[in-house]
Amino acid sequence: MNCEVCQLKELEVEHFEIREVLRCILHTIVFHRALGLVRPKDIDLELFEITYVQCGDVEVEKKIDDKIEQFISWVEKHPNKKSQICLSFYEVKNKQPSWFTNKIERLYWEQWYVNLNVIQLPKVHSSKSHHSKVVVDPGESTSEERSIRRATLEASLRDVLFQIIKFVNEKKDHVPPISENVMYFPYEITIPRSVPSAFASF
Amino acid sequence: MASSHSNIHSEAAKMEQIITEFYTKSLHIILESRSPYMSSRNFSGEQILSSPSSSSSSSSSVRPRDKWFNLALRECPAALENLDFWRQSNLEPMVIDVILVQRPVNWDTVNFSPQRDIVKNLSSKERYPFCWGSDQEEIGCEGKSEKIVERWVVQYESRKVRDCSSGSRRSSNNTLSNVYKKSILLLRSLYATVRLLPAYKIFRDLNSSGQICMFSLAHRVSSFVEPFTRKEEAEFQRFGFTPVDTSCGRLCISVLYRSSLSDVNSEPSTPMSPQVIPDYVGSPLADPLKRLPSLPISHGSPSSLPFSRRHSWSYDHLKASPPSVSFSPSPTHSEPHVSISNLSSRHYPPMSLPPHPPETSLIHKKNTSFDEYCPSPNFTPSASPSPPIYIPGGHLKQGLLRSESAPFSTPAAKLLSSRQNLSPSSPIKITRSGTSKIEKNMGPIHSGTTMEKLLSLGKDDSRRYSGVKLSSNNSPQVSFSRSSSRSFQDDFDDEFPCPFDVEDVDMTDRGSRPESFDQKGLLSEPLEPGGFFPIKKSQDAAVGALVCMLKKAPPLRQDLSSTTNLSEASRPESWSNSVQETSRISKAPSGQNAPSPSVASSGLLPLKTTADALEELRSYKEMKNLLLSQGARSHASADYPSPAETSSRDSNG
Repeated sequence: MNCEVCQLKELEVEHFEIREVLRCILHTIVFHRALGLVRPKDIDLELFEITYVQCGDVEVEKKIDDKIEQFISWVEKHPNKKSQICLSFYEVKNKQPSWFTNKIERLYWEQWYVNLNVIQLPKVHSSKSHHSKVVVDPGESTSEERSIRRATLEASLRDVLFQIIKFVNEKKDHVPPISENVMYFPYEITIPRSVPSAFASF
Repeated sequence: MASSHSNIHSEAAKMEQIITEFYTKSLHIILESRSPYMSSRNFSGEQILSSPSSSSSSSSSVRPRDKWFNLALRECPAALENLDFWRQSNLEPMVIDVILVQRPVNWDTVNFSPQRDIVKNLSSKERYPFCWGSDQEEIGCEGKSEKIVERWVVQYESRKVRDCSSGSRRSSNNTLSNVYKKSILLLRSLYATVRLLPAYKIFRDLNSSGQICMFSLAHRVSSFVEPFTRKEEAEFQRFGFTPVDTSCGRLCISVLYRSSLSDVNSEPSTPMSPQVIPDYVGSPLADPLKRLPSLPISHGSPSSLPFSRRHSWSYDHLKASPPSVSFSPSPTHSEPHVSISNLSSRHYPPMSLPPHPPETSLIHKKNTSFDEYCPSPNFTPSASPSPPIYIPGGHLKQGLLRSESAPFSTPAAKLLSSRQNLSPSSPIKITRSGTSKIEKNMGPIHSGTTMEKLLSLGKDDSRRYSGVKLSSNNSPQVSFSRSSSRSFQDDFDDEFPCPFDVEDVDMTDRGSRPESFDQKGLLSEPLEPGGFFPIKKSQDAAVGALVCMLKKAPPLRQDLSSTTNLSEASRPESWSNSVQETSRISKAPSGQNAPSPSVASSGLLPLKTTADALEELRSYKEMKNLLLSQGARSHASADYPSPAETSSRDSNG
């Protein structure tokens, strides 16, 4: 079983857009990997005219939200950087517990890289802190620019979602068999350190 | 061998079942998000949408159908109905056409219900169109246009080359569980994709808007369809899902969709994100003295839409001058859809700004085509009080850009932009019910509510007001339109445009009113809204002033019980009594400030305090003076002294 990797298109986001964008992307991916019985939940984004789907599991929602909060805190400390969030699916392989090692091995079979470029637009008034809770547009030189940027981001976000859908469609063989009474494959979300600028993301 | 043979058979049977259910599920997924709720027109479809699916997966029982492909969906009657009609063999493709049905202008909403064509294609090629809802022809609705916005094709392509039951194809990739797993994945991605295509927005708008729209979504499920011509197909984009290979064939889903739905207004009924309203102008009730820039009445063509909401709530943000606003009292969130093209279709003439009633009357006069669905004479056009609560600038631009950003574009009203400088994101939904709501909204605000307040304040003076009461619900509105029409036509340089004006034209229409008002000159005065304001102002400002005055007026009755008794006793009193008493009161303060307290207290209102009566009398006196002065002034200059008016005056013509 090979590990499929999908690099999602890079998105240029402002601080206040991170949460929505990440929620949208991460939930969409997880929905496609929650192959147990789900009752899908449609969520409308506030900032964009996009409806994405959650698998409806409360645990998943909480986990994703927690990770997003961590990421936002990290971004606050490392502003204006390209960053990646990695969503990996793995299979748990119980290694033969030997007398000195009892760890459970994870066999990753899929990895998604969400590439974000968090920008901080210059504001009219200087304000140091960006509270992650604040979903307020920072001041921009013109509202038109902001609208254009927002529209571009929406289009890109839509592209990313289609990218996910296409990937899910094209690569199916590597997906492990579905276990009974398991809603979703185990996964983890990691927030790597800052990515060198030479990193090629596509 | 026998067991393996039976295994093969059972496996084939299971595969067959999977394929059948695959059709069912994909139809369900597609129609669930393309078939708007017909019954709950005024009920936000959001609730229906969200409630079953937002409930956690652990709650609510799972129906057997839900378990297929591990996707529990909402109820979708459309899917079930279509399945019944469609049920074909698994080898037939299933073509689902999502059709945008656009209704023409002359369209009676009473009998309207969106039509769904369900075409059953028998192998004998006989078609039985089933129309759900009223027949269009009965309504006399012509020119209904249908456009296919999406064509979904679900099919199972079987491989004819090899024998499917041979074991040679049973690789690990094609085991039943594998096929099932892959179908699950495919259907998941179908579910997500359906929500990303442009038609989804239309569906959501239809569901969320509680009003009847100019368009609706219909669908058609069939096996054989006329393929698109090359030219037609060029308008579509294709998205194909990766087929799922089975042992005998493969399951395919593909869609042809229109990426741009330019004819459809699919603006959401509420703005996407909260926006600060720049230059917000409150309702006339809140700020009655504020003059609002009026429309340039330069457009002659009825189909142009400057009128629409060019009112204070115009979003003519491209013009430098007037502040554009959104009007607050819109009864429903879907008010914004009371729209421009709607109005244009009704041939609204360009309206000038300030008064609602002038618009009312103007529309009433100039639009006979109105009458079929705007029967009431005091119909307040949907335009005036219910502008799209589109905020100029930010939101509109967002709407504009929204249409540009997606791979598909949904520019709401390009036709509007071509006509004038309105934002293309203006909605084009007819909202008839919204209109009527506004009518109710505006009417009472301007007249009925005022009257009610007036009456409630003066319960103990019911004899005085009884004349008003007689026609309270009707006359103010009528007088609105009449006086306002006059005022509008005269470019506001007429006599004081007051709904309660004591004018012959107004009063002659009302039975007892004329006499009562003519005789008791003072009787009419309390109704003067402009009593306290020395400057001329518009109708709505006048009414607003009245409301303000009434709100600020001190309570007249100190003792409810006794005044109630008094008022009840006084109601059946004849006019003559009221005349006498009124004249007694009115004569008392003339030229003086203090009427005889005994007169005030013992005459009509024994239970009021002297101070209250004095206050009241003072106000009457002032109003009378104002009226007289207004009357004198109205014959003088034509110009308003108001500084707020700038270019609007030029346009009035």
